[in-house]
Amino acid sequence: MDRARYTDLFLTEGREHLVTCAQLLVELERAPRDLEPVHGLFRAIHTLKGMAATMGYSQVTDLSHEMETVLDAVRRGERRASRPLIDVLLETVDALTAGIETAARGQDAELDFQDLLARLTKRPRTRKRASNDAAAVKNTPLAGMWVQVVIDPAAPMRGGRAAVLLREAGSLGTVSEITPSASELERESFTGQLGFHLVSDAAPAAIAARLRTVGDVREVTCDPRSPGHEASGAGERHAAKPSTPTVRVDRRRLDALMNQVGELVVTKNRLASLAAGSGGELSAAVDRMARLVSEMQAEVMLARLTPAAEVLDRFPRMVRDLSRVVDKEVSLIVEGRHIEVDRAILEQIGEPLLHLLRNAIDHGIESVEARKKAGKPPAGQLSLIAARERNSVTFEVRDDGAGIDRAAILEKARREGSVADSVTSLTDEQLLEVLGRPGFSTAKRVTSVSGRGVGVDVVLTRIRPLGGSVEIRSEVGRGTSVTLRLPLTVVLLRALLARVGQERYVIPVTHVAETVFLDSRSATTLDGRQALKLRDETIPTVRLRDLAGFPDEPTPTRQPCVVFEVGTRRTALVVDALLGQEEIVVEPFQPPSGTPAVFSGATILSDGVPSLILDAAAVV
Amino acid sequence: MSHTILVCDDAIFMRTMIGDILTGAGYEVVGEAETGVQAVEQYSRLKPDLVTMDIVMPDMGGIDAVREIRRQDPDAKILMCSAMGQQALVVEAIQAGARDFVVKPFQPSRVLEAVQRVLG
Repeated sequence: MDRARYTDLFLTEGREHLVTCAQLLVELERAPRDLEPVHGLFRAIHTLKGMAATMGYSQVTDLSHEMETVLDAVRRGERRASRPLIDVLLETVDALTAGIETAARGQDAELDFQDLLARLTKRPRTRKRASNDAAAVKNTPLAGMWVQVVIDPAAPMRGGRAAVLLREAGSLGTVSEITPSASELERESFTGQLGFHLVSDAAPAAIAARLRTVGDVREVTCDPRSPGHEASGAGERHAAKPSTPTVRVDRRRLDALMNQVGELVVTKNRLASLAAGSGGELSAAVDRMARLVSEMQAEVMLARLTPAAEVLDRFPRMVRDLSRVVDKEVSLIVEGRHIEVDRAILEQIGEPLLHLLRNAIDHGIESVEARKKAGKPPAGQLSLIAARERNSVTFEVRDDGAGIDRAAILEKARREGSVADSVTSLTDEQLLEVLGRPGFSTAKRVTSVSGRGVGVDVVLTRIRPLGGSVEIRSEVGRGTSVTLRLPLTVVLLRALLARVGQERYVIPVTHVAETVFLDSRSATTLDGRQALKLRDETIPTVRLRDLAGFPDEPTPTRQPCVVFEVGTRRTALVVDALLGQEEIVVEPFQPPSGTPAVFSGATILSDGVPSLILDAAAVV
Repeated sequence: MSHTILVCDDAIFMRTMIGDILTGAGYEVVGEAETGVQAVEQYSRLKPDLVTMDIVMPDMGGIDAVREIRRQDPDAKILMCSAMGQQALVVEAIQAGARDFVVKPFQPSRVLEAVQRVLG
């Protein structure tokens, strides 16, 4: 058997099951009488156990088994899902999470779960079980067969009989894909017919003969031609399982595909610009290719979309642990788990969200006493909300805690000289600006004063290169909300091309509200500086010419403007010319020293010329 | 020489009945235990060819006794004696290393079949 291939599958699925377990345990702790999470837990850990046994990871198998036994007792009302028990179970999940990685590296035998085993059973355990299973697995050769067994329908305890049979089969080789599932086998309604896949070096006839020696067995058939997948007579039950219309694909393949599509899009753009004006068949062919490439790009993007749950589901556990460390009551609500997001973004969003949640628990939400005094419910409400908007996805972390102490932050900012003395109160935007300054947030002294701030710069430095932005809203006594806004995909960005002098710049559309002209009718002033009058609003302007460090030139009467919107703030960027839209591939960018901070990345334009990407959030 | 058997059950009634079935078929009952602890202790002293083990016993249940005996002797042959409705426990016992099981109320023929299967 191709063990490496199975190892990957084992790890992928095993990790998923363990994440599920952690999540369900937290649910169970919240509602210890609700048996629904227990059933889910039991299924997940049972599946893991089966997989581990098949792989011959006996330590992992043992620990999973013990956890399953405990869960079974809870399920049957013999043990209570107390906090200490849930603690041990969570520890077990942690140990298994690390354990499956170790086992997959071939070091299962080095795992030592004695302590956990003892605490799970509350009885000292000295011996490693399941070593027989491991030995059986190691000797398994390649041939597989589908074994179908009929147990006497009149026999008592057919499920127990099935267990004897499966143990016997396990001594002959590797058993998998047991149908019906192990939990169904234990039900009274189990008819006595079961099937399983067996990999063994024994001859089918010998296997059948051996299995017939098990009590109450009426019939055994071994079908070597249908290793559990073809719908043969013996495999009917098995084949009746619904086949899912999905297939697992290694993520690296999808990533590679996406990168290639990205390059293809750029090449397409280049080709289109070369063919422009040539007319005739060449143009038609280029147009057609352009359409196909766009469709392909959309398909690949869809294939890469991943439910936000993949990242969000880690947090209930973390919030629970952390709130206990700081001795606060926190109830977390997660919304938008099903929102689908480009995986590249999901991978980047975990750490910033972690910082924000940590902040909220550590500094935002008050102690139980303080909350009672303030007339709030004892448990702090923490929300983690993913939402999809037209051109972006947002992740919001919201708490109903004490809010940010603006006065303390302002004072500190003034002392540092980062805010003019004339400023008497900080707006939400200024707050973000101050907190996001590297060094400001990391200073311990400030954290304790401000009651918040740790990691805001970390969040910013993570989000901005992705073309995203951060918004903070905070109200004293009412709580704080931080929203991260990100483009739908990071590999390919739709962007405006703007020109200043002979230089072209790329402006991602993520934060572009509209484009207008600044002329004699729309020009106005705001605090003595040039501004744009747009409908009823006066919007401050910034000149790209200044940002990019070009010398001044006489201003034409009519200049194109790009209106950015980040949170509630709007800024109009004045450029020499707008050249249209293009899809760009974002390149990892190490800014050369001296590059203005408003540029967050670089790309190669369709004509092969490199160009800087403007970070809207830094402009506004 | 006939096979030696250790009978473990907390009810004298059951021990007697199993003993009669086994003796009648020519087996030698070398010991009786009424708790799990006794079962483990007698197993290591008597080294019987087979153990019949009740699942529910005071002072260490049958399943733990199975684990303990199998720890001392991985080749130990143990036959579980179960009441109706204890399927999950039977499955657990099998997974813990018991070779086979019989369900109460006992039919002598079924007990003897199981014993023969286990002694193989």
